[in-house]
Amino acid sequence: MKKISPVVRGWLSFAIGFIVAYILGIGLVYLVNGSLAYSHLVSWIFATFAGAAAYSWGASGFSPLTKGLAWMNLGALVGFALGLVIDLIVQGSLNWVAPTASLFALLFGFTAFFLGVAGFNAVSKGLIWQISGTLLGAIFISIIRVVMGLEWSGPFLFTEPAWVLGGFLGVIFFLSGNGSVSDWFKWAKGIDTPEHHEESHAGWEKYLNISLDHKVIGIQYTVTALFLISVGGLFALVFRTELAASQLQFLTTDMKLFGQNGPQLYNTFMSLHGMIMIVSILLGMAGITNFVVPLLLGAQDMAFPRLNAFAFWISVPASVLLLMSLILGGFDTGWTGYPPLSVRAPMGIQMFFLGVFTAGWSSILGALNVIVTVMRMRSKGMTAFRMPIFVWAAIATSIIALTATQFIGLSFQLVMFQRLLGMGFFDPAKGGNPVLFQHLFWFYSHPAVYVFILPGLGVISELLPVFARKPLFGYRWIAMSSLAIALVGFLVWAHHMFTSGMNEYLRVPFMYSTLLVAIPTGVKFFSWVATLWKGKIWAPTPMLFVLGGIVVFLLGGLTGPPNATVSIDLHLHDTYFIVGHFHDTIFGGFVFPFFAALYYWFPKATGRRMNETLGKIHFWLMTPSFFILTFGMMRIGLLGMRRRIVDYDPALNFDATHLLLTVMGYLIAISVLVFIYNFFNSIKNGEKAEGNVWNSRSPEWQVPSPMPTHNYDQPFEVVGEPYDYGLPGSKYVEFSAPAKSRH
Amino acid sequence: MSHLLDKSSAFRQGVVIFVYLAVLTALEYFVAVTFKAISILVVVAILKAALVMYYYMHIYKLNEEGGSDAHSYAYKTGTNRLGLWLFLLSDSFVFAGLMTARINLLGLTRPHLNQTLGLAVTAVLLISSFFMNRGETAMAHGDKKGFMTNTLVTFLLGLGFLLGVVAVEWPLAAEEGLTASSNAVGAVFYMMTGMHAFHVFTGLIFLIVVWNNARKNIYSSEQNWGVEAAAVYWHFVDLVWIFFYPALYLIGTAL
Amino acid sequence: MQHIVIVGILVIVMAVLTYFGLDSIGLMPVEASAQAVSIDWLWNWQVIAMSFLFALIVVPLVYSLVVFRRKKGETGDGEHIEGNTSLEIAWTVLPLFAVLAFAYMGAYSLGETNRVDPDAIEIRVKAQQFAWTFEYPEYGIVSTELHLPLNQQVVLKMESADVIHSFWVPEFRVKQDVVPGRVTEYRITPTLVGDYKVRCAELCGTSHAYMEAGVIVDTKGDYAAWIAEQAAIAAASQTPEGQGQILSVKYGCLGCHSIDGSKLTGPTWFGLYGSNVELDNGTSVVADDAFIKESILDPNASVVAGFPSPSVMPPYTLTDEEIANFIAYLKTLK
Ligand code: HEA
Ligand code: HEA
Ligand code: HEC
Ligand code: CUA
Ligand SMILES: [Cu+2]
Repeated sequence: MKKISPVVRGWLSFAIGFIVAYILGIGLVYLVNGSLAYSHLVSWIFATFAGAAAYSWGASGFSPLTKGLAWMNLGALVGFALGLVIDLIVQGSLNWVAPTASLFALLFGFTAFFLGVAGFNAVSKGLIWQISGTLLGAIFISIIRVVMGLEWSGPFLFTEPAWVLGGFLGVIFFLSGNGSVSDWFKWAKGIDTPEHHEESHAGWEKYLNISLDHKVIGIQYTVTALFLISVGGLFALVFRTELAASQLQFLTTDMKLFGQNGPQLYNTFMSLHGMIMIVSILLGMAGITNFVVPLLLGAQDMAFPRLNAFAFWISVPASVLLLMSLILGGFDTGWTGYPPLSVRAPMGIQMFFLGVFTAGWSSILGALNVIVTVMRMRSKGMTAFRMPIFVWAAIATSIIALTATQFIGLSFQLVMFQRLLGMGFFDPAKGGNPVLFQHLFWFYSHPAVYVFILPGLGVISELLPVFARKPLFGYRWIAMSSLAIALVGFLVWAHHMFTSGMNEYLRVPFMYSTLLVAIPTGVKFFSWVATLWKGKIWAPTPMLFVLGGIVVFLLGGLTGPPNATVSIDLHLHDTYFIVGHFHDTIFGGFVFPFFAALYYWFPKATGRRMNETLGKIHFWLMTPSFFILTFGMMRIGLLGMRRRIVDYDPALNFDATHLLLTVMGYLIAISVLVFIYNFFNSIKNGEKAEGNVWNSRSPEWQVPSPMPTHNYDQPFEVVGEPYDYGLPGSKYVEFSAPAKSRH
Repeated sequence: MSHLLDKSSAFRQGVVIFVYLAVLTALEYFVAVTFKAISILVVVAILKAALVMYYYMHIYKLNEEGGSDAHSYAYKTGTNRLGLWLFLLSDSFVFAGLMTARINLLGLTRPHLNQTLGLAVTAVLLISSFFMNRGETAMAHGDKKGFMTNTLVTFLLGLGFLLGVVAVEWPLAAEEGLTASSNAVGAVFYMMTGMHAFHVFTGLIFLIVVWNNARKNIYSSEQNWGVEAAAVYWHFVDLVWIFFYPALYLIGTAL
Repeated sequence: MQHIVIVGILVIVMAVLTYFGLDSIGLMPVEASAQAVSIDWLWNWQVIAMSFLFALIVVPLVYSLVVFRRKKGETGDGEHIEGNTSLEIAWTVLPLFAVLAFAYMGAYSLGETNRVDPDAIEIRVKAQQFAWTFEYPEYGIVSTELHLPLNQQVVLKMESADVIHSFWVPEFRVKQDVVPGRVTEYRITPTLVGDYKVRCAELCGTSHAYMEAGVIVDTKGDYAAWIAEQAAIAAASQTPEGQGQILSVKYGCLGCHSIDGSKLTGPTWFGLYGSNVELDNGTSVVADDAFIKESILDPNASVVAGFPSPSVMPPYTLTDEEIANFIAYLKTLK
């Protein structure tokens, strides 16, 4: 047995686990239900998770992961059974696809996973508290309703107001239960706490617990973001599969899951794909920013370590809420949630609103912290124009996130209140105005798209000089262009509303302002090309992703001005051309640079580097597939393919293209799986890399990796320009005493 | 913390600013009932806001670096102060959003409300700001007792404002047919006052916390960031009302 | 210098190839309206600009990658060039002019698409989940298909009964949302005879994908004939069942109910009257006058088995006469 490779053993166990669980699942359904309806669905889910646990067991024995996965299966089963029983009691009939059962399975499974991996930790404790809080809040409202003589139960066990208060209370319970606010409570009681806590856990377990170290928090953010990308990507694969051919394939009107029929489920998946991906971007970039900015500045930590931890931890219950929305009825509004549709949408929309609102706070507080850190925590000699360029990007991003985010929170709150209390903000019958919502929403959501990309463009600007071995061309221009994009970005929101029936005379000014964004963006592109020009370029994986990012973002950017030109947008609006446009900008501005940053700073975080070959496979699989994906989208968009449709007219002849797009979506997913494998495998088995792997001038690379809790053993002073590659004898930073190796 | 003024002139400054604010509020009310010039109302509100931000919230303190020792209390207070102001900036966008909704949905009309009550709660909030300022100044000069008394008065006035809005004004409006679900006007009115009341509520909690901590002798004339934060936050709540009051009670014709 | 010349030539070659490549695929659907002309004209300029700018960035990027690549064993750095202010100014100012030019062209093109013809024919459009209804007020015609005369501007006055929809005929290019609580306008001058489709372009719920209706551009003669025929039908249908049929088009019932037995969003009306209807609470009722009246006024009161509860059918407030007409019409569907 010993000679078989762990991978083979893993897959063997997977196969066995999968088949056994599948058969068990079918048998179980038949036993209880007396028919095979839904048995395949239940068994598939059952078997996939059982298979995953079996794989882990085969590959690594009783490792914490195996235990976690096994517990997850158990937890999900218990939750499912409990949900079924409750549903049986309340509804009086056994319903396999009852949302309650699925919801309990999700929550219990999640919680059990973290319990299994490492017992009580901040995640599992938080989740247990969140579940309790949710139930408590829901039961509380239900009791009040009973007292008032109102109906207390509905298709989703509790009524909408009950779930809303429950969801809200769940977040609060999560945060107070897992300890992320305990220091603040102490302060309120007048008890002083040490400025820094000793790390309460060592090794990987510290990532599951509250840590005040910005590097740990950065990694916590990053891993959460990767998880959400996978979930959002998985949703994309589900609905892409449905789109592979015209007519309804498996999301038919007859099927029913989580209280939704096929087309409704499509809309839920599509909308959640959008928002989960967006949240994952916010978290991913917060991760990179958190990890890198204090290092680049020479700070010991962020300005407010507790706030930093809080901002991360609040994103966990937010993600849970987003996932709950899928099960509690879903919603068919797109990520934009326009009323009046969102006022009529199923109940899931409330969980969605709450989730986004909560995630928004993560973004706001994180941004606040970044700005204060940059203003107050720079090391000696680091004047504004000697800061690494990424810091400028982080500042520009934070300005937007700090302020504009409140608008999406507010706009969603208004709809929530309209649903709960009948307040008529957007109801024309009550003198409300549906278009007002769009203004409030886009006032955030347009600037937000620059939140998605500015850090990414910062990563590009930061890495290019390292790999071109040349100074960053026009440093000040690039720094200022980030600010310019952020500020002009505040003035363009109505370009999403050219067809909305808003005041006619607003359209032309918004066209002008929107087109102006092209100028600072262009400055970046031209400066990047000039940086490469006459460099000594080498292209390991991070550089490949940087270059890929530039080209992809260029495509996305260039398809922006046609949208901004009002008359053309009258044709393009709400078509796949727009979908192509923003996948290009988002991939170019976020996904590619995010991967570049991960490959680049991975050695800093772990002292090992990721596998180059797998990295190149990842790149060369993802990039062409992605080009085909978005080209295809734009092409059919121009020809008449609307967005957000579950089915398209076969007469349009889009079937072949759509099939191609679906295949490309799968190829991208495979490439991401390669990355995920590489990422986790390299943590343990990667080639050792403790020195200045990329031969960079940046301060964090002048000391050995990984770095200790409070970063630099010696403070450094900035004595030169950050990117003076090719200038012999020049130095960026000088440590007060030679930084000594810790080994 | 640097003391620009000695104790008695600091108190005197508080009184003078309060008188300015009171006169401006009276002027506002007068303009609204007589010749309804919105531009004047806007200018007066901005003037009041500037006074509050400068003299009560000490916005100029953002310039104080707090020395070069990054571990000193003064330096950290500077950092905290920046953080608090950024938070307020962020928060003010919520209110700006509500104001946008109000302008869009109501335009040049306003809900039909009890004017006397409106003026009364506004006055109560304004006076509470005055006492907050006295309390803060007292603490900055090491007068713990003065701080406790003044903060208590602030708290009571704040509570009075909160009850005035939520327990008196709301039922009154509802009686007149203006409920949250009756129409967009009601929706806007309850949302704006509700959101503001929520902030008053958190401000009250904040006041209890610093009051209690002062009782435990945690603050001194040198180290009292908690007091400063609570005061700035309280004045911010007042600042919001400076704009909400004319927006709801004074501008436009009553429906 | 030599590098720059080569790159310059390559940029032009690549831009030209890209543009003609894109042009030869044909990017837009056929052009069937006067408004489309100025849009397509501007779009063409945009494609030229996109092709050029794409080449302008990508060619030097790839060229640098190839030519300035670090050779095996090399360790040195590149040239120390920190920047060049005049270059930066150039690539700030030149795009600024380009952008202003495009914005100007955009405003011009928008003006063209909005040009008002005082003789435009007015047609009323009603959008609701998930059907379009078209009303020709001059002739008292109500139709589920939109018929338009060639080379004649029409102005659609559009209203929504529930949520936001969007009127879009790809061949006409222009798109306009239909917003509840207000009337939005859509002006179009069809220039090509043919059968098109209006496709709702704003997500409006479960069956948004299927919210389509025929748009038929006729020659003036055919159009007049169609109008005459429809007007005759409208005039002839003064009987209750005729009125009922017109109402069912006007209120968009037929978007959800078929009259041929097929199942759409709602149950078919074929053979409904007098039949035994199973409800989702397990009981069944006979579809008599009272039941049908109740179903229309308060669809939630009793939901037919197999359909989502609460009912997706909106409640309608109709007069007794209208309901009587409906019932008369339903009786004919056997
Ligand atoms: C990462 C996110 C991102 C970024 C960076 C951008 C960038 C831009 N976007 Fe995009 N956009 C989205 C994400 C993004 N967008 C999303 C998610 C949507 C859909 C939302 C929804 O409805 O769900 C959307 C939708 C959208 C619309 C609405 C379309 C519609 O629904 O009808 C418009 C309209 O103006 C638009 C325009 C632009 C413009 C002008 C830019 C500019 O910033 C681009 C600037 C860059 C360049 C122009 C290229 C480089 C410049 C040069 C090489 C210089 C020379 C150039 C010229 C002279 C032109 N975008
Ligand atoms: C970060 C942003 C982001 C990213 C990365 C993506 C990635 C993808 N998107 Fe996304 N998309 C959006 C943001 C994004 N999208 C937004 C905002 C919308 C608008 C929504 C709306 O209209 O409301 C949208 C809409 C949208 C549509 C239009 C739907 C419609 O209008 O009906 C389509 C259609 O093809 C699509 C496809 C894809 C595909 C194939 C990918 C692929 O790249 C996905 C590749 C897969 C992965 C990256 C996951 C890989 C990982 C696994 C498979 C592992 C799973 C394992 C575990 C869970 C452990 N997207
Ligand atoms: C949005 C889709 C939709 C529209 C529009 C709609 N209906 Fe319905 N209708 C339904 C659905 C779904 C049901 C079944 C559920 C129920 O009984 O409420 C239904 C049921 C009915 C019934 C009950 C009897 C039966 O078995 O069919 C009648 C009668 C009826 N509709 C008439 C109308 C009339 C008249 C109109 C237009 C004035 C109309 N409907 C418009 C969806 C719709
Ligand atoms: Cu109507 Cu989509
Ligand atoms: Cu935008």
